Amino acid sequence: MYITDLRSISPQKTYTNEFLKGELVHHDGIIFNVTEPDYMELIPRGLLRRMGKAVRMGVGTGLPLIQNNKNIDGILMGTANGGLENCIDFLNQIVEYDEGMLTPTNFVQSTPNAIAGQLALMDQNRGYNTTYTNGGHAFENTLLDALLLFEEGNAKKLLIGGIEEISNYNYNIDFLADHYKEVAVGNFDLIDSLTKGSVCGEGSNMFIVESEASQYYAKIEDVEQLTFPKEEDIELCVKSILERNNIQHNEIDTLMLGMNGDIDHNVWYEHVSEQLFPDTNVLTFKHLVGEYRTCTSFAVWLSAHILNGERSFMSSIEKRKIENKPIQHILIYNHFDEVNHSFILLKK
Amino acid sequence: MSQTREELSLELKKHIVEYLNLLDIKPEEINDDTPLFGPDLGLDSIDSVELIVLLDREYGVKINNPTEGRTILVDVNTIVDYILANKK
Repeated sequence: MYITDLRSISPQKTYTNEFLKGELVHHDGIIFNVTEPDYMELIPRGLLRRMGKAVRMGVGTGLPLIQNNKNIDGILMGTANGGLENCIDFLNQIVEYDEGMLTPTNFVQSTPNAIAGQLALMDQNRGYNTTYTNGGHAFENTLLDALLLFEEGNAKKLLIGGIEEISNYNYNIDFLADHYKEVAVGNFDLIDSLTKGSVCGEGSNMFIVESEASQYYAKIEDVEQLTFPKEEDIELCVKSILERNNIQHNEIDTLMLGMNGDIDHNVWYEHVSEQLFPDTNVLTFKHLVGEYRTCTSFAVWLSAHILNGERSFMSSIEKRKIENKPIQHILIYNHFDEVNHSFILLKK
Repeated sequence: MSQTREELSLELKKHIVEYLNLLDIKPEEINDDTPLFGPDLGLDSIDSVELIVLLDREYGVKINNPTEGRTILVDVNTIVDYILANKK
């Protein structure tokens, strides 16, 4: 499937394209909040005041894509937590008011499918509408579903995306689970950090994907998911994805790795980059946007721009550069907390 | 000391702005006779449920009959009248 249009709201200035011109935002703390645009011109005031951050970001990225691309057959979103801030507010109200009168807004906005639903309502889109919420594989499942819809001929053009917001609740819970560093490091020192934990990120990255296209940013060839794999499962998975797509091992010129600065997580990435693909370019992305469960959507956004020839930011994401290896195929490899592993293959 | 009508009116406007998350509107900018569901504030049916929740939580005043709500949730004046008549 072909990426023909795309948008991103992230901790970098991706919405207004300054990032693509090489302007980088430095983050020194543990929490990388997004740079939100002014939504007032895009979203009616009456709707905006009810939206939590996840819904606001999702509509902010999805609505311009819908407005610029007519005849969308469906909307598929991936979000592990959705609008968690509203969700917890709603649950707290149930306790605080003893299951009495509850405000409808928190309830409406608390469900993960509020983003895809809101976009469908604003576009009057009555097509396929699905939201995947399965943790570190939520975005990968939107990709898989889109690939299957195209393969079966049930759609020609889809809006897909991955969204996650930082809420106090998920940050505190994940911090207690040792997901984040106790002492902050600057984001451009994150990848080579030698301590445990990562940094907390958020964002919304959306794409118009089509089954056929003559002009496009990149082609998404395949997606593969593994849960609790062993090292040999990773090797088998790489072999399988290459064979299935008729791609030779040496044709993979670039790896985009989800290295997040957690020394305990690096072993997986080092295995793939040192053992399986020792002669490829290696790029990283989590020092730009932080760690979150659907951050592979940002990796796809970044890869699509790279394959489209937009590379002003390249020096900030290159971990290993191999001379005479032009970027034609990007294999994204990511895992969330060593549980949800995934590969996404993109082609120029 | 009991609350004057003016104090109650201002307090109610603060609650309305907070509960409905009215962007860029200050409580003192809402006139007592401005229609809540007119073009000025642009409230809708979900907001009417939010207002019913507000009255219950902040003033212990319930609106059980939806038809009754149409005559109560007209403007700040009509809500203040209802609170003063029904607050225990």
